[in-house]
Amino acid sequence: MSDIRLADPTPVQLLAEDGTLTEHPVFSQYIEALDDEVLRELYRHMVLERRFDAEATSLQRQGMLALWVPALGQEAAQIGAIAALEQTDRVFPTYREHAMALYRGITPEELMGTFRATRHTGWDPHAFNFNAYSVVLASQVMHAAGWAMGIKQDVATGTLGEGRPDDELVLACLGDGATSQGDAHESMVFASSYELPMLYFIQNNHWAISVPQETQSRVPLAHRAAGYGFEGMRVDGNDVLATFAVTRYMAEQIRAGSGPKLVEAVTYRIGAHTTADDPTKYRTSEELDAWKSRDPIARYRTWLESRSIIDAAYTEQVDQEAAELAKQLRIAVRSMESVQLERVFDTVYAEPHRQVETEKAWLKDYEAGFAEEEEGADT
Amino acid sequence: MSQTFNLPDVGEGLTEAEIVSWRVSQGDTVDVNDVVCEIETAKSLVELPVPFAGTVQELVASEGETIEVGQPLIRISEASGEAEQRPASEKENAEKFSSDPAAADTPKDSPTQEQKRGEDRSPKGSGEEQNQALVGSGPKADAPKARPRTRPAALDLVDVSDVGLSHGTSGDNGRSSHESRLSNHSAADVVRRAAPPVRALAKRFGLDVAQLIGTGHEGRITRQDVEAQAHQTSGSTQSPEVVSLYEGPREEQVKVRGVRKATALNVSASASEVPHVSVFKEVDITRTMELRTALRNDPSYKNLNVSPMLFAAQAIIRAARKNPQVNATWHDSHYTLCNYVNLGIAAATPRGLVVPVIHDAQAYTTQGLAAALTALTAEAREGKTTPAQMQGGTVSITNIGSLGLDFGTPILPPGQASIVVLGAVRTKPWVVEGQIVPRQIMTIGGSFDHRLIDGDLAGAFISEVASIMEQPGLLMT
Repeated sequence: MSDIRLADPTPVQLLAEDGTLTEHPVFSQYIEALDDEVLRELYRHMVLERRFDAEATSLQRQGMLALWVPALGQEAAQIGAIAALEQTDRVFPTYREHAMALYRGITPEELMGTFRATRHTGWDPHAFNFNAYSVVLASQVMHAAGWAMGIKQDVATGTLGEGRPDDELVLACLGDGATSQGDAHESMVFASSYELPMLYFIQNNHWAISVPQETQSRVPLAHRAAGYGFEGMRVDGNDVLATFAVTRYMAEQIRAGSGPKLVEAVTYRIGAHTTADDPTKYRTSEELDAWKSRDPIARYRTWLESRSIIDAAYTEQVDQEAAELAKQLRIAVRSMESVQLERVFDTVYAEPHRQVETEKAWLKDYEAGFAEEEEGADT
Repeated sequence: MSQTFNLPDVGEGLTEAEIVSWRVSQGDTVDVNDVVCEIETAKSLVELPVPFAGTVQELVASEGETIEVGQPLIRISEASGEAEQRPASEKENAEKFSSDPAAADTPKDSPTQEQKRGEDRSPKGSGEEQNQALVGSGPKADAPKARPRTRPAALDLVDVSDVGLSHGTSGDNGRSSHESRLSNHSAADVVRRAAPPVRALAKRFGLDVAQLIGTGHEGRITRQDVEAQAHQTSGSTQSPEVVSLYEGPREEQVKVRGVRKATALNVSASASEVPHVSVFKEVDITRTMELRTALRNDPSYKNLNVSPMLFAAQAIIRAARKNPQVNATWHDSHYTLCNYVNLGIAAATPRGLVVPVIHDAQAYTTQGLAAALTALTAEAREGKTTPAQMQGGTVSITNIGSLGLDFGTPILPPGQASIVVLGAVRTKPWVVEGQIVPRQIMTIGGSFDHRLIDGDLAGAFISEVASIMEQPGLLMT
């Protein structure tokens, strides 16, 4: 039996809230290895997502989206983690990983299909190595373990898909609330038993809708990893550099065959759980203000500016790009066309299936049985 | 051109919202996403950003007003140069913007015939600029639009017995297997050929639908087919009369008002607020019934209603003295013990349930109480009970025995901690001194406010009432 140490309850932090960088014996090297362009990109992606997020919230308030799930405040956790991985690593997101999705190149239009209710999933998960959003809490954690088992077996049998590296890892995203789901437990048991190449990435945003994190767990969530027999670590999720460094550190070990790891990014959901939620009913404005002062973008920008990695021209340029992104999001949402019901049948099974085909034919026949109401319509 | 921002559904499935405050006035210039008002929904206070830029032309709804989702909220006259608001250029921009057409199923391909038809059924804009809202805003979401059918749908989907094993069959097998299935008599075939009411009718006649020949459209079995077959089978010249117990409209909406409304409010408040506990006891009230006969023959009780309830009322007044908590009102921080009994009498009347109160019932003689009960019952039946007469009760009685019932768990009238329920008087075999003898038995029980009254106290009280009913001579002590 291996002996797993409990995670340090104090989250790893490199960038203090005032924007000063501190040295860390293990993690500083991961940041020192980055060139300025990468550092700028981290900033750019966080700003873009924040503007995107605000526009989406407005669009929902204007009746243009059925629902929106704001990621406001969690930009550093998401960008730090996704930037530390390879494009070939498979991500299993919750429904709030918008910064990760945009980082991977998923377009606003593709991302919004589900929220506009015109698509089950707007993007091809294989094209971005980014799975469909999962609204069923913690279900994606199981899928992630299954995918990792597949990778492991493909490597063992030499049947990895073309172009796939043999050290691919799986990022299983989950929130603090989802850790209370049975699925999270089962996934971690399997990951440990099979020594799967998985990184569990918990964004502990402190609120599972209206249930505070202290109710979900009396110990840091990262401690749970030790119970399954693997390492967990806490990181300041509002510190993009620390999140990047810790994620890359963990990823290196997973690629080297360590088996699963867990990172708990301690962050805060500044916005509502979804646009159908009113957080003022269950949390205080004092708490909210305290977290607003730990804003992930502000502290990173302060540091970048202090190192002259970015200047006013750059931030202005990014703001303009963000405004354009918001504008394009608005246009994309407004021009989305409804899903064709028949398409639903085409994505049930990978191969043609007689019953599904029968039902599709029936629907087509049924639909064709209505009188056309306008002249010039098709026959 | 003006654009209207309709109230959207900002939650999930909300139907209305109240305008709390306007942040803009007529003539103000607004930009896209400027907050124009604050609304309160069933879920939350929400600031609404406007989807258009321009000048505020009209605030359609006023502060304090509650409007339905989809109703107009504000009208904005369009600013010049807002080209991206126009749907035509939106399409182009969207196409320019999307990066990789092959990456996912983006709807950029030219619409197919089906897609065009799908569009035809989507809500259409009127002359006014529409913002293609999903919920609420824009044209009324999901407006039902019935189009006539040109032919019935072939509902031949039920038979899946031969489906599912082979892959890669052509898509039109729904049709190809259709003909072969017409001839067989499988369950699916029956389902397809006979509507549920027709199948039910056949069942009533004891006929096997599968054996019937359908004369209806596409071989449908009709009601007439079933009746004709039944007629033939029975050989009778008279077709059996099928009577529906449920004639008339299928559903009816009845406005809730008056006593029904008051009762509904009272019982739902009481049931949700007060934890009820109930106890019951079967009692031999033969002696009470004998006493009742005696009183009925007494000239001073002439024209008075002498019922078991009279004795129960007396018993309750006595027992409540010994168990004062049953005659009390709960106030969370304290409770009020009453040194009097305002006795509520639940009465089923043509208007509904009313509970008139005999105030200071402890002050009455048995004869006086009988007179009070008689008067009160008569008033209630005539619908003359005033609201004032129903106020101030401390303990109530409900006589479900008059409905022929034995047990019941009544809901406490608001503010009362106890209600006693009396069952029907029944002659039952009863063991008296080792012998089974016929005795007159009643179930006495009640519901109690458990915050104040535990089962033991409720039991002590009901046992006390029962003892007196069993031995009415105790009333003289």
